[in-house]
Amino acid sequence: MLSLPRPLVAVLLIVLFVGMLLVPFFGGSYAIKFATRVFVLAIFVVSLDFLIGITGLVSFGHAMFFGLGAYSLYFISPETMAANALFAFPAALLIAGAVAAIIGAICVLTRGFYFIMVTLAFGQMLFSLFHTSRIAGGSDGAYINIKPAISMFGRTLLDFENRFTFYYFCLAALAAVYLLALALTRTPFGRVLQAIRWNEERAGALGFNTYAYKLLSFTFAGAIAGFAGVLFATIDGYVAPDLFGWRQSGIAIMMVVLGGAGTLFGPILGALLYSLIEEVLKTASWVGPIASHWSLALGLLLIGAVLTFPKGIAGLFGRKEGLKVSADQPHITRKVEDARRGQQLEVSGLTRRFDGLVAVDNVSLNLAPNLVHGIIGPNGAGKTTFVNVLSGSMKPTAGNIRLDGENIAGKPAYVIARRGIGRSYQRTNIFLPFTVRENCLIAALARHPSPWRLRSGIFVKQESDAIAHALNVTGLSTRADIRAAHLSHGEQRQLEIAMLIASGARLLILDEPLGGMGPEETGRVMALLRSLAANHTVLLIEHDMDAIFGAADTLTVLVEGRLLAHGKPEEIRRDLAVREAYLGRWGESAS
Amino acid sequence: MAGTPVPAIIVSEQSAVMDLVLTQIFNGLQYGLLLFLAASGLTLVLGIMGIINLSHGSFYMLGAYLSLTLTSLTNDIFLSLALGIPIAFLFGAAIEWLFIRHLYQRDHLQQVLLTFGLILVFNELQRIIWGTFPHSVPIPSYLSGSVKIFGLMSYPIYRIAVAGLCIVLALAMMFVIQRTKIGRMIRAGESNREMVEVLGIDTQLLFRFVFAAGVTLAAAGGIIAAPIDSVYPGIGESVLITSLVVVVIGGIGSVRGAFVGALLIGLADAFGKVFFPQFATGMVYALMAAVLVARPGGLFGRAA
Repeated sequence: MLSLPRPLVAVLLIVLFVGMLLVPFFGGSYAIKFATRVFVLAIFVVSLDFLIGITGLVSFGHAMFFGLGAYSLYFISPETMAANALFAFPAALLIAGAVAAIIGAICVLTRGFYFIMVTLAFGQMLFSLFHTSRIAGGSDGAYINIKPAISMFGRTLLDFENRFTFYYFCLAALAAVYLLALALTRTPFGRVLQAIRWNEERAGALGFNTYAYKLLSFTFAGAIAGFAGVLFATIDGYVAPDLFGWRQSGIAIMMVVLGGAGTLFGPILGALLYSLIEEVLKTASWVGPIASHWSLALGLLLIGAVLTFPKGIAGLFGRKEGLKVSADQPHITRKVEDARRGQQLEVSGLTRRFDGLVAVDNVSLNLAPNLVHGIIGPNGAGKTTFVNVLSGSMKPTAGNIRLDGENIAGKPAYVIARRGIGRSYQRTNIFLPFTVRENCLIAALARHPSPWRLRSGIFVKQESDAIAHALNVTGLSTRADIRAAHLSHGEQRQLEIAMLIASGARLLILDEPLGGMGPEETGRVMALLRSLAANHTVLLIEHDMDAIFGAADTLTVLVEGRLLAHGKPEEIRRDLAVREAYLGRWGESAS
Repeated sequence: MAGTPVPAIIVSEQSAVMDLVLTQIFNGLQYGLLLFLAASGLTLVLGIMGIINLSHGSFYMLGAYLSLTLTSLTNDIFLSLALGIPIAFLFGAAIEWLFIRHLYQRDHLQQVLLTFGLILVFNELQRIIWGTFPHSVPIPSYLSGSVKIFGLMSYPIYRIAVAGLCIVLALAMMFVIQRTKIGRMIRAGESNREMVEVLGIDTQLLFRFVFAAGVTLAAAGGIIAAPIDSVYPGIGESVLITSLVVVVIGGIGSVRGAFVGALLIGLADAFGKVFFPQFATGMVYALMAAVLVARPGGLFGRAA
């Protein structure tokens, strides 16, 4: 997760900021205008990095909101007098944000490369709208006669015709936007965005409505881009359709990547460096004949930068990856969970077909609360499909699933998670770049999964208790500050269980939790699952027959998608049909 | 937008609407076939190699300018095509060797960045070598003029020849994909990229071939389209964006999808230009947005 910049970086940023405060005293009007432009572009690319680096949405149409902000100023500005920036700037921000919410509602439906393309398409649509029509001068662009000013009660407080005033205004705006974006990444909202970036499926299974989160992020970034756009239009007093275009979006991505995506400060440096390089190549005398072919040199520099500095400028200031081992924390004995009971699950006539194949065939089952229920069966018996349907990652073809009486069949995964079902996956499914504690934090935030949470607020104690409890019972307390990617396979499986505990789920579905564990770990995890049954209902798929026969209260046998037997372990062991179909040699040797 | 400028037809009064519709169908199909040449390479590079290649439009531009230079030397567009194809193939292989092969293990963002850099370089090189003025490439005399179709409308012969050539090239590509060893690898990669690596296929060779073939197809499109449109700087960019739209509509990695998508876009563009001239370009993107909302993985793609 994005932490605050290291002291070295923070000092560097402050020095840069102070240096910029001094520029107008030494630089000429050209330097001031150049720097103002860089600040505005930096605001734009910080908003883009919030999308790309924090939320993981690579937008290739971000300039459409930049352009909208700029054109808003044109439409708002009266012919013969200055627009009031107190009204015009927020209006531009709101217009861009509102359009971002509408366009985002469609774009966010898609993922990966398709998202890149849909955002590009919408950007080009707006571009062609302003380019081919005669709105605001069409392809020629249009002038804003008088630059806006901040005025109150008929008195002008800040006049942006004055380039000093506007310079400092933009510098302050950049600092404010950067700090705002940085602060947002540290709120529950921002943390969940980062979780979505690394593992959207897991975030959804924890109960977060990832669509709403991504849409909010898209809207926020769009609004900030609109703000940058209105500032940009103020610099030259000129708007043109190119502001919407894919080149503008592309250059913004360049700046983000050049600076280092996902750091928020990196893109500011990227904007500065990119603009400086472009400026030097275009105008400096010592580059000689290159000046007339500056974009050739710029292209070569970009290619060179990608090949040599894949992490951007910010990568040069990167933290050394260390394996921290935190001191063993004192065992917390206070009771975390209230006396909640596990949930009851009733499945009736559940069926899931894939084209011709019936993976789950008319399964009816009643799982009593506060017990450990095992599901066994040969490979391909439909066990994982069965739990996928229960947890909502697949829709049932037919049948009902009642959780404490409420039918949840066919609801999206995040809704089912909010009803109390938490699940782990056959293949470990955690947030690998986050530390163990951060993984549990995301899970704990799922207790109150609204995307509108900007403060930890009153839940912070409940959540930190839940995290401590989860780490404690899974034995991960000493490993809390290690990145999940650096854990052993067995520890990662335990982290998944810890996340389920921290999330407050009351019905736990575990898909082969013992996979890849040694006998000692197996014993410990099974004992943990037994103790969890005190206030959870536990449902697990397992291939380790000794473990599951020893620990489960009931066993369900699935074969070819059908329910073959259900009962207490000793009944199942006696069941001849089961023995033939599945247990085979194991059944004989045990009898 | 390249492709279908004002239709060069003579409209008889009685059947004006019929003429217009037919002409636009022809224009749309012919533009769609050209788009297919550009988009098929793009979709294969994306589907099999996992590379977002923003510089693909530059290869179309390369074709257009090769057409200009070679036709002024040989005086014949088809000789230019015959000479241009091997040049483009070698050029593509060199670009893969120099730049693209470093991107296979990188994420989408860096691919976007590097290939965007390539666009800047290619555009500037074009300006240095050929200058900024638009040029036109002559239609060969034996293909100039129009023929009457269905006894109704007259249609330029060269445009029909271009459509025919596109079909020949598309068939040649289908032959390679369906009947040759390297085609089998491509089909394996089309259905499952990981499988290709698991099977121990020489991915380096496969990737270089696929990339160079994609460059060749795009350049071939640029060569034969040059006499229809003029040749001008930035000609590749609209082709790139439209081809990306085609790839997304068809589904990434699907040649069949690219074919259907290209024809759809070609027709939408041709009719949009006549019936909604204000929003013709926008229509193409609206079509793509509609397809993606209904099928987020494209028409023939695997689910995204």
